[in-house]
Amino acid sequence: MSKIAQFRIAHLYPRLMNLYGDRGNLICIQKRLQWYGHDCIIEPINLHESLDYSAYDMLFMGGGSAQEQRLASKDWLRQADDLWAELEKGLPALCICGAFQFLGSYYEAADSQKLKGLGFFDLYTIYEPDRLIGNIVIASQLTEETTTVVGFENHSGRTYLHDDTLQPFGTVLEGFGNNGQDGQEGLRYKNLIGTYLHGPLLPKNPVVADFFIHAMAERQGITISGTLNDRLEDFAHRQTKQRILND
Amino acid sequence: MQTIRTITAIAVAKLLICLSRILGNQGTAFPGRIARKIDPHILQKLAGNVKEEMYIITGTNGKTTTTNMIARILEEKGYSFVHNRAGANMITGITTAFIKESDIFGKRSFEYALLETDEANVPLLLKELTPRVVLITNFFRDQLDRYGELDSTIGLIKDAVRDTDIELVLNADDPLVVHFHNDTGLHCWYFGFEPTDYDVWEDDESREGRFCSFCAAELQYERFHYAQLGKFYCSNCGSHNPRRNFTGHNLRMTPEIRFMVNDLEISSPYLGFYNAYNILAAVSVAKLVGIQDDVVQKAIASYQPRAGRMEQFMIGDKKAIQVLVKNPTGLNQTLATLNTDVSSKALFFALNDNHGDGRDVSWIWDAQVEAISCTDSGVKSITCSGLRSGDAALRFKYAGFDEEIIEVESDLEAGIKACLNNEAEVYYFLCTYTTLFPSGKILSRLARKSQGRKQPGHVRRKLTVRGE
Repeated sequence: MSKIAQFRIAHLYPRLMNLYGDRGNLICIQKRLQWYGHDCIIEPINLHESLDYSAYDMLFMGGGSAQEQRLASKDWLRQADDLWAELEKGLPALCICGAFQFLGSYYEAADSQKLKGLGFFDLYTIYEPDRLIGNIVIASQLTEETTTVVGFENHSGRTYLHDDTLQPFGTVLEGFGNNGQDGQEGLRYKNLIGTYLHGPLLPKNPVVADFFIHAMAERQGITISGTLNDRLEDFAHRQTKQRILND
Repeated sequence: MQTIRTITAIAVAKLLICLSRILGNQGTAFPGRIARKIDPHILQKLAGNVKEEMYIITGTNGKTTTTNMIARILEEKGYSFVHNRAGANMITGITTAFIKESDIFGKRSFEYALLETDEANVPLLLKELTPRVVLITNFFRDQLDRYGELDSTIGLIKDAVRDTDIELVLNADDPLVVHFHNDTGLHCWYFGFEPTDYDVWEDDESREGRFCSFCAAELQYERFHYAQLGKFYCSNCGSHNPRRNFTGHNLRMTPEIRFMVNDLEISSPYLGFYNAYNILAAVSVAKLVGIQDDVVQKAIASYQPRAGRMEQFMIGDKKAIQVLVKNPTGLNQTLATLNTDVSSKALFFALNDNHGDGRDVSWIWDAQVEAISCTDSGVKSITCSGLRSGDAALRFKYAGFDEEIIEVESDLEAGIKACLNNEAEVYYFLCTYTTLFPSGKILSRLARKSQGRKQPGHVRRKLTVRGE
C-alpha cells in the first residue's frame, strides 16, 4: 500500500471565471485522485490575493464574460514572473477560453482596444463578432498514442499561434479550434494546456485527466499506481464523438 | 376590412393547425411561420383585435408556469384572451396562437393577450405589437450557446423597451434587472420576497449577477432566496434591491406553498421556491389588471401543475413524477424539492442536446448534483437516457454516486422502463426540453396500459451501457 499523498490545486478567480460548468474539471481531478487512493484539496484564489505558485500541484482557470475577464487578467499579471518560473519547472495547468487567451501577448477586444496578456507565448487573440460555437473533436498527441479529445467550444476570440515552434493541444477533426482556419486547437507547453474546449473537458476525456494526475504526481516525486474503471467515461466519449461525426 | 392576403394567411394557417393536431404534433410554430410568409403584417393586424391590454411574460425560468397561472386567473374572471399555451414562445408560435383564436376573417376580438415570449424574441415582438406590460421573471444562465452571454440578452431587451410607454414588472430580488428603471426611464413595478425561513447565506459559485449593474463592483448579499435572488447591496455605489410594490411574506413551503402577497393570502398545490416566485409574479400582474382578491385566490388554489411541471402519473401502483429541467437553476431547484421528499426514489434523467435543449450540455456541471448524493437522500437508482446519456451518467458518477446504481439506456422508452423496474416508492423523471413530450407520451401510455393490470415484476438490475 503506497502512502496517501496530498495534492493542492489552485482554482484561479472562481467567482469571475466560471462560465459553462468549468468546475466540472476540478471535480473530475479531485474524484479521480481520491479513487487512486490520494487526497486533493481545491483552493479558490480571488482578486488581490497573492499566492505561492511553488506550493501548488496544479493551476486551473476557466473562462468568463468580457467584463469579468478584464478584472481577472489585470490581477493575474501581478505575479507573472513567479508563475512562469513554475510552469517552466513543469507545474500542471489547465487554462480554458479566457485563461488560454491571457497566456499570449494580447487580446484585441471588440472596441479594438488591446488587452495585455501574460506574454508567455507568442500568440495573440482578436475579437470577431460571430462566435464559433459547437461540438468539437480534436486529435491530440498528449501521450505517446494519438488520442481524440471531445468537447464544446463557444468563443468570439480568434487565437493565432504566431510562433511555428509552438505546439497546439491538438488538430481539429470536426469543429473550429483556435481560429476556424489553421486547424489548430489550443496550446501545449510542458504540463500546461490552453484550450477552447470549455466546460467539463476532463470527465469524458479521462486520458487528459490522467495526464494531469500523472504530472502532478511526478511533481511530488511519486507515481500513481493502478487503473480506474472508465466504462462510463469511455462510453460518454464515444457517444459524443459519434454525435459530432454523424451530425 | 381585411385583405385577401390576410384571409389566405389565416385560412392556410388554420388548416395547418388542424393537420398538425391530427398528426399529434406538438410543434405550433410552423403554421405561424407560413402565415407570416403569406402576410408579413398578420400579427400586427390580429393584435389590433385585443381590446384591453397585452401582457408579455419573459425571463429565463418560470415563463410558462407564470403565464399559465395568469391565464387561469383571467379564465376564472371570465375574460376572453389570446394565449400561446403550448409554450411555443417564439414570434412564429405567438402568431399561431392569434390565428388559432381568430375567426377566418381575422375579426374576432379579445379583451386581453398573454404572450409568453422567449427572451431573444422580445425585441422582434415589440416591433409588431405594443403591450401594456412586460414582465421579466428573472435572468439565469440558460442556453448561452444560442444567445451568447446573458449580458447581451439583457441589453437587447433593454434597447427594445426604451422610448415606449411600456410598464415593466420586475423581480426586485434579481440584481440583473435593477438598472432597467434608470436605463429606460420606464415605470417599473417590483415583486419580491421578504426574508424567509428557507433563505441561505452561502455563496453559490455559479450564480449570475455577481457585479453591480451600475458600477461593476462586487455585490454584497445579506441573504439568498435561491441562486442570485436575494437581498443585496453595492458597497461602492450604494445600489440595492428596489422598493417592492408586491411583497411576498410569511412563506411556507410544506405541505404546499402558502404565503401572503401584501395583505392577500395565497395557497397553491405547487412545490418549490421557484414556483413561489411564479405565483408572486402572476398575482402581481393580476393586481395590475385589477382583478379581485377572491378571484385570484380561487384561481391559484385550483391551478394544478401541467406537463413537465411536476406532473404525476400512476403506473400500476407506482407513483411517477415528471419534471422539466433545462438549466442549472431549474435542476438545482428540482433536486432541492426532491430532497424534501423522504421516500425512496428512482431517478431518471433524459439529456438531449438538440437546439431546443441547448447544444451545449456543460450546464449540468453548474448544478449542485452533489446536494442529493449523500446516502440519506433516498436515491436508490439513476437511469440516464437521451442523446447525451453518457454526459448525464458522468455528472452523477462524479457527484459521488456509486457507479453500481447508475444505468445507461439512451433510448427513452427503454430507459423509462428500466427506471420503473427499479425498486422505489417514487419515480422521478427529469427531462430536458426535447425529451419532455416523448417521455410524457410514454409515461401516459404506460399509465393507461397498467390500469386494471398487475404491476410488472421487478427485474434484477445491473450496470448496463447500451444504446450507442
